[in-house]
Amino acid sequence: MSRIDAIKHHLVEEYQLGVRPAEPADDYDLLHNGVIDSLALLTLVSRLESEYALAIDAMDVLPDSFRTAASIDPFVASAVPTAKVG
Amino acid sequence: MALPLAERIATVARRHPENPALFWQGRAVSYRDLLAMSRAAEKSIAALRVPEGIPVAAVAAKSPETIAVLLACMRTARPVLVPSADVGDKALRRLLADTGALVLPDPRTLTTGTAEAAVAARPAAARVPDGTALILTTSGSTGFPKAVPLPAAAVGAFAEWSAATFGIRVGTSVLSYAPLNFDLSLLDVWTTLSHGGQVALVEQERAAHPSHLLALLQQCPVHVVQGVPMLFQLLAAAEKQARGDEFASVAEVLATGDSLSPAGLAALPRLFPGARMRNVYGCTETNDTFVHEIDPAGDPGRYGAVPIGRPVEGVSSDIVAEDGTVVAGPGRGELIVTSPFQTSGYLDPAQHAAAFVGHPDGVTPGPYYRTGDVVTRHPDGVLTLDGRSDFMVKVRGIRINTAAVEGALRSHPEVADAVVLALPDERTGKRLHAVVHRAAGSLLNSLRLREHVAAELPRAGIPSGIEFVDAPLPRTATGKIDRRTVANSL
Repeated sequence: MSRIDAIKHHLVEEYQLGVRPAEPADDYDLLHNGVIDSLALLTLVSRLESEYALAIDAMDVLPDSFRTAASIDPFVASAVPTAKVG
Repeated sequence: MALPLAERIATVARRHPENPALFWQGRAVSYRDLLAMSRAAEKSIAALRVPEGIPVAAVAAKSPETIAVLLACMRTARPVLVPSADVGDKALRRLLADTGALVLPDPRTLTTGTAEAAVAARPAAARVPDGTALILTTSGSTGFPKAVPLPAAAVGAFAEWSAATFGIRVGTSVLSYAPLNFDLSLLDVWTTLSHGGQVALVEQERAAHPSHLLALLQQCPVHVVQGVPMLFQLLAAAEKQARGDEFASVAEVLATGDSLSPAGLAALPRLFPGARMRNVYGCTETNDTFVHEIDPAGDPGRYGAVPIGRPVEGVSSDIVAEDGTVVAGPGRGELIVTSPFQTSGYLDPAQHAAAFVGHPDGVTPGPYYRTGDVVTRHPDGVLTLDGRSDFMVKVRGIRINTAAVEGALRSHPEVADAVVLALPDERTGKRLHAVVHRAAGSLLNSLRLREHVAAELPRAGIPSGIEFVDAPLPRTATGKIDRRTVANSL
């Protein structure tokens, strides 16, 4: 599964969208259409952190980065991976 | 001493004994026969030896026999509680405890004199005020139904006003669609009978079947149709199977009980080309208080909704802002009303105190009933209904009217119906959950519906959960969405 598909899979499950994971378009506006709000954003960030072993500085979290599956993908790609411990 | 309304019905029966009083299951019941049934019921009830002043309860579906029993109670000035025919055990027990009423035997046995003449169990003390005629009940769509005692004087005043306003007189035929516990029956049944008209009774069990309604209208043409918007939707749906002349006799149309949607409004002049159409606003507690003459060409026009119009004679009203002050000019707030047709009040002192209040100025005589309806007064003085104040919830600190969210969902062409519930949420205070009845064959999904409502609502108004069903949403007997049943099914 590509990363963008995995992100969609997570969105569909977490927010009980009732559609197949492939259905949301890459550019479906998650904020404007009320799928995620600013509070849900923080949960989403921590999920991504553990899923992809990222260390995301809360200061880096701009809502616009989470507007669509297509914008989440590069955000995850550019986040610095944490050093693997032991 | 018979109540004035019962006296009037007896007078009609003396003058026009052969005139039809009721139309039921293909036959007319004359005033003479109705009065005879009522006298039989009087005797049966007397044999029960219910202490004076103690209310009785008629738990029965609408029928000539049930109406005869209610008339018998009015003839003997016995307050009578009218719960919904399918009231649940729990709700009934609560209504009986609140009113101190004793349940009567089946109206069929009462009117044929075959009721067991058992001595009624000793009731608790009567809890309704002297002079109470009928005790109607609220629909209970948001909680347990409440008993609403109506003084004989209020019922009488309402019958006089409504007969004059809607042209009900000897020979007028009036459709009775609403159940007897609903305030619409005051006009459909009691105004009509006290003014010599004929009541065409819809069978409650078949009320949602268009073919039953059409058959009734074919056998018994009616002049006056009062209904909730759902009735007009049903009639519009039935039109396709209609012979074409079913609605030709209708001269007066009263839309009431809920706000009239643009589609519902558009259907009216087509259904009733010759009729005068009015939007009537009221509730069980105050009965009708506002009337608006519908203008099919102009409404809803610049107001965005069909206005509720102006207060009827004798009614005083004001709009109260959230801070408790009276809104003087244009503005928005909760409608408070006092009317000559008003209840003496709820029987539970706490419930009464919350709903019946003095005027905020401390001077104007009341009590005023807090309708719970949020209205807007436009610059020209016209009022429109925005929704229920108890449908106002805060989501992430933002005030959202769930009725407006439902409206936005319903405005999608593939949505047949929708209900929005505000569920407790530890994160946001409340979260909105929508249950959406999809139109037949529609494959509408949550993603597309979200896009549709996002165009109409603030972000906080977009439901966080959207659930689709392919069956109609449960409704109460009076056509309102049964929110409790929906909530319990989640």
